[in-house]
Amino acid sequence: MNCKKRIWLFVACFMSGACKKDISIRFPEQHNSLVFIEGMLYPGKVPAINISTSNPFFSSKITPQQVFARGAVVTISTGSVMDVLEPDSAFNNFRCRWEPFYRGHIEAEYGKTYTLEVSYAGKTYKTSTSIDQKKVTIESIVYTAEFFDVYGGHDGMIIKFTDHPGSKDYYRFQMNRIIDNSVKHAHVLDGFVNTCTGANELFPVKDIGRIIFTDENADGQKMTMSIEVTYEYEKDDEGWVFIQSLDKNAAEFYKDLDDQLQAIYNPFVEPVFINSKIPGAIGVFGSAVLSDSVLFVYPRDHP
Amino acid sequence: MKIIIVSILPFLFTLPSSSQKITISGYVKDETSREAMVGASVIDGNNKTGTTANQYGFFSFTVPAADTIELIFTYQGYEIQAKKIVANKNILLEVLMQNQANLLGEVIVSAARSNRNVQKPQMGVIDVPIKAIKNLPVLLGERDIMKIIQLLPGVQGGQEGTTGFYVRGGNLDQNLVQLDEATVYNPNHLFGLFSTFNVNAVNHVQLIKGGFPAEYGGRLSSILNITMKEGNKSEYQAEGGIGLLSNNITIQGPLKKNKSSFIVSARRSHINLLLLAYGKPKESMSYKFYDVNAKMNFEAGKRDHLFLSFFKGNDNAAYNNANSLNYTTHFGNSTGTFRWNHLFGSKTFSNTSFIYNDYDLALSTSQNNYYSLLFTAVKDFTAKTDFTFTPTPKHKIKSGFAFIHHRLSPASFSASIPRNGNKLKINTDSIHKLNSNEMAFYLGDEWEASTKFSINYGIRIPLFTSPGKTYSFIEPRITTKLSVSPSSSIKASYTRMNQFLHLIPNSTAGLPTDIWVPSSEKTKPQASTQFALGYFQNFKDNTIETSLEVYYKNMDNQVLFGEGKQLRINVDLDSLIVYGKGKSYGAEIFVKKNTGKLTGWISYTWSKTTQQFKDLNFGNKFPFRYDRRHVLSVTASYQVSKKWTLSSVFAFSTGSAFTVPTGRISTLNSGTIFEGNYYIYEGRNNYRLSSYHRLDFSASNKKTVKLFKKEYEREWVFGVYNAYSRQNPYFIYFEIDALTTQPKAKQVSLLPVIPGISFNFKF
Repeated sequence: MNCKKRIWLFVACFMSGACKKDISIRFPEQHNSLVFIEGMLYPGKVPAINISTSNPFFSSKITPQQVFARGAVVTISTGSVMDVLEPDSAFNNFRCRWEPFYRGHIEAEYGKTYTLEVSYAGKTYKTSTSIDQKKVTIESIVYTAEFFDVYGGHDGMIIKFTDHPGSKDYYRFQMNRIIDNSVKHAHVLDGFVNTCTGANELFPVKDIGRIIFTDENADGQKMTMSIEVTYEYEKDDEGWVFIQSLDKNAAEFYKDLDDQLQAIYNPFVEPVFINSKIPGAIGVFGSAVLSDSVLFVYPRDHP
Repeated sequence: MKIIIVSILPFLFTLPSSSQKITISGYVKDETSREAMVGASVIDGNNKTGTTANQYGFFSFTVPAADTIELIFTYQGYEIQAKKIVANKNILLEVLMQNQANLLGEVIVSAARSNRNVQKPQMGVIDVPIKAIKNLPVLLGERDIMKIIQLLPGVQGGQEGTTGFYVRGGNLDQNLVQLDEATVYNPNHLFGLFSTFNVNAVNHVQLIKGGFPAEYGGRLSSILNITMKEGNKSEYQAEGGIGLLSNNITIQGPLKKNKSSFIVSARRSHINLLLLAYGKPKESMSYKFYDVNAKMNFEAGKRDHLFLSFFKGNDNAAYNNANSLNYTTHFGNSTGTFRWNHLFGSKTFSNTSFIYNDYDLALSTSQNNYYSLLFTAVKDFTAKTDFTFTPTPKHKIKSGFAFIHHRLSPASFSASIPRNGNKLKINTDSIHKLNSNEMAFYLGDEWEASTKFSINYGIRIPLFTSPGKTYSFIEPRITTKLSVSPSSSIKASYTRMNQFLHLIPNSTAGLPTDIWVPSSEKTKPQASTQFALGYFQNFKDNTIETSLEVYYKNMDNQVLFGEGKQLRINVDLDSLIVYGKGKSYGAEIFVKKNTGKLTGWISYTWSKTTQQFKDLNFGNKFPFRYDRRHVLSVTASYQVSKKWTLSSVFAFSTGSAFTVPTGRISTLNSGTIFEGNYYIYEGRNNYRLSSYHRLDFSASNKKTVKLFKKEYEREWVFGVYNAYSRQNPYFIYFEIDALTTQPKAKQVSLLPVIPGISFNFKF
């Protein structure tokens, strides 16, 4: 072997050795399954409570039907009135799947306190919420092609309203739209292909904002919400915009969820542990009061 | 005012000594290069007392006057020297010691070897032999001080292959790394795969991890003192090496023979050539680093010695992968030190230093469609003076004062990458500068109370001021030693330490995103209390040293980023930090063979470290990220012949802790931008990476050859890193399928079996 060949052999050895490798690994499943309860009461609407079980992190059980807590006894009571909820489901036309939940029969009323009791797998979970948040009035909605917040740069809308003074208030965005299967998700589900609805077959979707806004340091003042929207749009598409006034428990719980999402997707943010609002289970039982809706028309196509 | 008086007390004792006693002082130096021999032992054969040479090779001790006195000088790797001197008046000596490597034939050692590791009232102190650093196998043939430090008891490495080290449950920032007294905030090249210290320019390396004497402060866990060579005062000398990653050269010689000298050492990478060959399609990489050490010294008479040293290291890197990780970074350290040694009479040695250091790091990273920008800079201006006073044979008193002005510039940001790709940039000029001052006074005494019992006790009083807040503390320090026999002793120590600068670690990102911040009104100084107990025993005429140390350490005001806190420009970093405490305890066993054909050590550490933060992990205790129950290192060098030396390292440690969600839940009422799948965490750092182990080999061939009728030494070093190609974990990340939302875990392993070769020369 001449000198040149020896050098090449050495370089080849080095190159074959030094490299970064990504190896799939498996973790032992060490999860003690918890009951997950998510219930939001809206005045004038019957309760819909999502009750499921948590699954091991790497489990392949992923659809709402697979994790639904069947056989739970669920009641919501206020004063001497008790509503026994029953299993039901709704078809999600965008995701093409059934989403089961427990449905009540009595509409929630503003100003009342409700107690949720869930008995499942030999355990009972109990928690309460009061619907006493103040409704706000949307003063303006302006489209923006680009704005920056802590999450990065987005398109969306800027909503203005005035906070009620004297209390700590929490808000989040909601927009109801009627779309067809040509409308894509603008974020993580942008690759999803809707095959369960036909062309031009319309169905409703609810866009709920990820950010919880508070009136901290802005009590009674004019507030501005910069909103990143969930679904893509074209010029002249319409949506009905609401502001949800949340109770403290719901606000804190959904803020935890949003912070956790931020940590899941942004590798530079520390993991967020969800603080449950229901003793013994994980989840929240809260309420929201909706503002009057305002029609919003997109002035341009999705960028 | 009282403090100042105390600190200058030693001056008051520099009066003429009693006629019954004389003081022997002097410098211990290498015979050939006249390099100071830091830590050389000096033993009074008549009175069976002794001392050790300080960082400048200086020693001083007082003995009863006698007609003659026999002094024995020892230093590892050097011929033991016995000197008979007339001892009827104070004497200032210059002792020249001969390197065993320069001796012809077999070396026969007749005098007793030093047992100072047993008999000195200090514990948790390890002098790292430069010979070991030069012999032990390392990655790609690059010799490295920090990699050797990681093999010592009580010390462990961080991520695979990196030079960061963690001591007795402390975080990275709790180690004070000093090069000629100047703080080096980031002693790494190549993301920590190599340290910035060029072995050829280093004279002495000492790690202190417990029982801190009063002169040391400012960090909770360890002090790593690296002393540069002074330069050969007798003749010009050049040495260097050509490796796979870098080339280095060191030139030294006299400016005025036996009076002053210089040393310049430089290293520069040529990794880009390898990266070009190794790079995959869709990937582009570039990496450049260099470092330069320079030092001059001048002996202005017998009592004054001046030193000027300089260090600069710099790294620039970029890595672009079309699919996942991208980064660009620049970081660099610069330090400058001016020192003046002065001898007052024969009993008081002083060192006055003026030090400047400048560190900055800029990092831009993107991963999973998110990007992070980080800039952190620390500038320090330091003035300090230290006195060592030896009034009697039984006492060695040290006192001093230090003042440091810190200027920190932290800024960071992370967000999703905008659709138009225009990322924000940090304007370093507009970053708010955080100025603070740190001062410290100390007074300590090493007192040999009897032949069996000695004690090193002292007090340090640090003071820290930042706008609107001043902190001051009293730090008592005490280490005691009780001799069981001349070759065995029991030692105990108590140390209280405070730390005013904090490096806030990020536990999730695969790349370093740590940032330095000063103490403030909200971010209180870190504090620790450490107790240690040890048994020390030497065997076979002190050629085998063994020790067993146990320790317990409490750490307060520890800092971490809060859950979900996101780095943002113009946001007060204090608002992103959470505070807690830590606790570490463990046992360390060390067996070291210093001499003979076979040298090396076995080090085993059992330890447990936990942290508790009110705002993390539901307020419950959790394991420290680098809580590793078992850490074992075995190193061995065997001199087969005059030409060949074989060396090997085996390292094992329990996997480090990290956080993995244990469950998932699916919501129907949360924000719809994401799918609504969330994680359940049952505990922070609840999982363990797989254990780390690797075996390295190296063989070096040294030969003296002739070139142009002149002799020079040449050395080939062949090495294999991670001989059985263990896929040690670098970090874990999760891939989440957007549609099915099912997560999969992936482990990144960085360094499989890697052969290495380097060529070194000296003439």
